[in-house]
Amino acid sequence: MADVASLSPGAEALRRGATGPSGPKPRHVLSRRNIFLYGTLIVVALYYLLPLYVMIVTSLKGMPEIRLGNIFSPPVEITFEPWVKAWATACTGLNCDGLSRGFWNSVRITVPSVILSIAIASVNGYALANWRFKGADTFFIILIVGAFIPYQVMIYPIVIILREIGIYGSLTGLVIVHSIFGMPILTLLFRNYFTSMPEELFRAARVDGAGFWGIYLRIMLPMSLPIFVVAIILQVTGIWNDFLFGVVYTRPDTYPMTVQLNNIVNSVQGVKEYNVNMAATILTGLVPLIVYFVSGKLFVRGIAAGAVKG
Amino acid sequence: MAADIANPSVSIQDLSLNFGAVSVLQTLNLDVAEGEFIVLLGPSGCGKSTLLNCIAGLLDISDGRIFIKGKNVTWEEPKDRGIGMVFQSYALYPQMTVEKNLSFGLRVAGVPKEEIAKRIARAAEILQIEPLLQRKPSALSGGQRQRVAIGRALVRDVDVFLFDEPLSNLDAKLRSELRVEIKLLHRRLQNTMIYVTHDQIEAMTLADRIAVMRGGVIQQLDAPQTIYNRPVNRFVAGFLGSPAMNFLKGELEAGAVPVFKADGVSVSLGRYQFDGDGGPAAKPCIFGIRPEHIAFGDAAQAMPFTAESTVEIVDPMGSDTLVWTKLGGQIISVRVEADKTLRNGDAIRIGFDPARASLFDAQTDNRL
Repeated sequence: MADVASLSPGAEALRRGATGPSGPKPRHVLSRRNIFLYGTLIVVALYYLLPLYVMIVTSLKGMPEIRLGNIFSPPVEITFEPWVKAWATACTGLNCDGLSRGFWNSVRITVPSVILSIAIASVNGYALANWRFKGADTFFIILIVGAFIPYQVMIYPIVIILREIGIYGSLTGLVIVHSIFGMPILTLLFRNYFTSMPEELFRAARVDGAGFWGIYLRIMLPMSLPIFVVAIILQVTGIWNDFLFGVVYTRPDTYPMTVQLNNIVNSVQGVKEYNVNMAATILTGLVPLIVYFVSGKLFVRGIAAGAVKG
Repeated sequence: MAADIANPSVSIQDLSLNFGAVSVLQTLNLDVAEGEFIVLLGPSGCGKSTLLNCIAGLLDISDGRIFIKGKNVTWEEPKDRGIGMVFQSYALYPQMTVEKNLSFGLRVAGVPKEEIAKRIARAAEILQIEPLLQRKPSALSGGQRQRVAIGRALVRDVDVFLFDEPLSNLDAKLRSELRVEIKLLHRRLQNTMIYVTHDQIEAMTLADRIAVMRGGVIQQLDAPQTIYNRPVNRFVAGFLGSPAMNFLKGELEAGAVPVFKADGVSVSLGRYQFDGDGGPAAKPCIFGIRPEHIAFGDAAQAMPFTAESTVEIVDPMGSDTLVWTKLGGQIISVRVEADKTLRNGDAIRIGFDPARASLFDAQTDNRL
């Protein structure tokens, strides 16, 4: 052993117990890199949160306090009056029952639209991914091209179609419109998810004798919770936040919440009640906000799963 | 190609499959006898899995007919063909317990509950998976999963089992264990089994007959020993056997006793059994000899052909040692016992019996 050690010049450094780096590399919390990174993050976060802060603070103030003009100061006297008014008694046009009417309209629009569009799109995606029927690719391309046509082009033709069918201005009409416009992106989402599933699973189910619906309902559906959550989030927020279709395809007594909010905020008669407007806006945005908070983790997981293969 | 089997369990007649302009299978014929274990062997992309999927009915064929148990099933759905299939990735339904996985096909077919319970009990007993019945596939090891996958085919009570590289995802130890189990299963059930693999050991150990495939065509269909000893062409010869067969380029000289000649070597082929009758014509050819058929040292002396050579490289493989040396200016390998200590540059004596060699036409690669 001795002659081996003397042969190599670095032998001394290799000896056990010698000084030098050992174990995990030390990390400095206050390094320049960390300060820059977290500093930027904090500034950006404040920039985005400031408007929300102003909204919440203003909605809790009375009108005299707002007239002082200091929008950043916290409320001296907290009042929930504006919230109650925004929900129950604010006037839009002839109705003076607040946003509650619009809220229930939006629920009646969103729930059936989400269920209908996801039910159809998931079957579409499943058929496109697993049952490669003749012309499947052409069908898929047409569907995707549909996603790139601007909505504005289609508004008037759809008005005519709905009128001819006799459902123009009704909630049913709007539900159908939402379902159709959700189809391209949802079908793409589901198709990609089902394509990423092992094909042998599908083949095994066929050997086991399951048919089109059997495989879909008993094999594919139970395995695709993440992508359904993604689709539900996309559709709930998209349809809830929709303004254009709501204002075009409904009548004042069936206006969704967003349209009603616009009418409350933009009403020109009398004093501008900033606190009521802020409360109404927060109320309208609450549904998508809750959806994001509740399902954030599943959402990210599902998006990642659906995006792997195209 | 098609063997004369009176009542084939599976009969494939003139089967062709094209994907667009690409021809995957070309007028393929294959008859499988009742209770026979057939292995489809070949490299990746040779069409062996495709053929299996055609038999299963998972791919629509372009031409030809498929019979199972004498019934034309060419247009039948997979479930109506009387087949059970085991996949490489197990393909167990992840959200179902083992029991539900096994019973899925039966439940779809509307089999009565008592019958389902009876069949699951039998399959679980055969495969020894009783303790696993209430578990989800994610809680099983690879070997257990594949057992369940076999069980799924078993409960369907079918005539023909199709295996699509079932052991490829397992580690070497489990693979050899399950290989034995599949062999025992076949002996117990006596079903017809068609087994796809690229592993020649699986093919050699399991098969009654092996079909070696390349480019969508069956190259040779025969018993494992015949394929090993008398490969019909150079591809089959090179594909089977590990370490691979040695090939020497040279000339065949016709005469009363044909002779193979390569750079400084001449092997008398008096003991070699030529295919067909009549003496072979003189032409360029390739001489193939397996490393395990080349004798070494004293044993070489007794062989009809012997030569002197030197060791180039020594590859110890545990059970034996592979020695690389030169013959006729070309590198060949020789298998020797592991206890022989050899060093690079050692002079050695090698020898073999030309009767165990294979001679191929250099142009067509076919056996001479």
